[in-house]
Amino acid sequence: MSEKKKGILIPERYKPVLGAFIFFVVMLSAFIASSPDVFLSIGIYSAVFLSLPLFAIMGLSLVFVTAAGEIDLAFPSIIPLSGLAFAWTLQQTNLNFLLATIFSVVVGISCGLLNGFLVTKLGLSSLITTLGMNFALIGLCNVLNNGAVRTFEELNDTRIKSILVGSFGPIPAQMFWMVLISLVLGMIFHRHKFGLHVRVAGDNPEAGRAMGVNIERTKILCFTLVGLCASIVGILGILLLSTYFSTMGEAYLLPVLAAVFVGGTPVTGGKGTIGGLVIGATTVVFIQTGVVAAGLDGHWTSLGFGLVIVLSLLGHRKFSGRLTR
Amino acid sequence: MSNEPIVKLVNVNKSYGNVYALEDINLDFYPGEIVSLVGDNGAGKSTLTKIISGTEGPDTNGKIIVDNKEVTNWSSAKARARGIETVYQNRALSEQQSIYDNVFLGREITNRFGFINRKKEIEETETLMRKIGYTSKVWTPLSSVNKLSGGERQGVAISRAILFESRLVILDEPTTAMALTEAAEVLEFVSNLKKSGKSVVFISHNPWDAHAVADRFVILERGKIVFDGPKGSMSADDFIALLHKFAKKDIKS
Repeated sequence: MSEKKKGILIPERYKPVLGAFIFFVVMLSAFIASSPDVFLSIGIYSAVFLSLPLFAIMGLSLVFVTAAGEIDLAFPSIIPLSGLAFAWTLQQTNLNFLLATIFSVVVGISCGLLNGFLVTKLGLSSLITTLGMNFALIGLCNVLNNGAVRTFEELNDTRIKSILVGSFGPIPAQMFWMVLISLVLGMIFHRHKFGLHVRVAGDNPEAGRAMGVNIERTKILCFTLVGLCASIVGILGILLLSTYFSTMGEAYLLPVLAAVFVGGTPVTGGKGTIGGLVIGATTVVFIQTGVVAAGLDGHWTSLGFGLVIVLSLLGHRKFSGRLTR
Repeated sequence: MSNEPIVKLVNVNKSYGNVYALEDINLDFYPGEIVSLVGDNGAGKSTLTKIISGTEGPDTNGKIIVDNKEVTNWSSAKARARGIETVYQNRALSEQQSIYDNVFLGREITNRFGFINRKKEIEETETLMRKIGYTSKVWTPLSSVNKLSGGERQGVAISRAILFESRLVILDEPTTAMALTEAAEVLEFVSNLKKSGKSVVFISHNPWDAHAVADRFVILERGKIVFDGPKGSMSADDFIALLHKFAKKDIKS
């Protein structure tokens, strides 16, 4: 009905994406208006594109978990723990990249599986379970790492590094990986039956069970995806800086969650948007980079985040009309 | 109408501890027939439904006969495979998903990698919606279920039963808590279900609804069948009088 009043027909499912996009354009315009010389140069965009993929890849997996009606707060610790597995194996094997990647992914997936089992099989609240796991895993990571900072200068000129985090002209290579992973996960979320089952799990699990959908397995796979993405982010993060330190996951928690919600995935579960997430992540990273580039104190970033999250939620509600209860 | 019953219950009993929920039930369900199953709370309607749909097994001495063959280890998966589909009130739909996603939930048409064939699902949903008599032209298969009225939602759940080659559709209180117009819509869906060749077991508290759609009445009281007969020329008033007669008898004893 609201569609007809406005005289434009936007399919319901594209509204959150469009909402997130309009929000991004407004924000960008505000930045450009405030300091045109900074935001009309290419430098700022290269800076954004450097770290955007890491936040976006993490956020993609969070869309699945959120749409499935759960939340995962453990990823900021899975990143350094699986990252440690990567860094440690690199050191032990004299830079065997393949082995290090496999070990890192196994660690990430195991953490995700553990979260999934705790939440579905034991019926624990995902908010509290993963909050606890966040503490437990970073504790484990610190115990194992013992405060070491591991540097990998020798990786600097390797082909593997330039493929994963090098650059194609002004565009960092990780942007291509982000696009690729977004496309794959977007197809799965919006077009694959697994994506449908994820959304049903968050909306009406009883309906899914009555129709023979394995809701528990679906949710466990969502948590596992978070573990997998965390390990990818860990690996890319280490390669990007050629350094491992166990606090590398700390900066992710709030921006990634913000990206999910700014992107138009409701916290209530049952639906979500991959395209929106990418735009949401861009918005969030832009604030981080933009506030500093605009010459403001870094503390303004938090204020900016807060405003953006609240305003975007209002925007999404206004936009999707009476459907968002 | 063929005379072979789809499902035949012979001497079915079900007890929970010392309490008989069902006692010596002998009941046939024939093709192309709408049976209204009525009775008070605790009369055994839902227990009977659960036994037919396979979610609960009867006590050992009774028999369930499907297509003239006795079945063993009856389960809901087996029931569904044999064309017996149950539509539960309010439990079957994911409201934030589209109509076509709901219709095909759990039985998606996919390519071999599991990606949903949207075009085909949407086309088939359109055909279904026409078949079941969706009068509203506002909705397309892409509309999400939370925009539909209660009656229309029931329609989506019912159309699922048509799609999956079911022969006997059990509708558990499909008109409960509905406005009159919505209930009328559901009754229309039910008649269309019959027109498309399905048998229906219609379970209801509402004697008018039960009367309106039925070809045959089965009245349960305290786990026993007290009446099993065709509607014939029985009016709604006669039917209600009949219900009262059994209810009164029940109070006296």
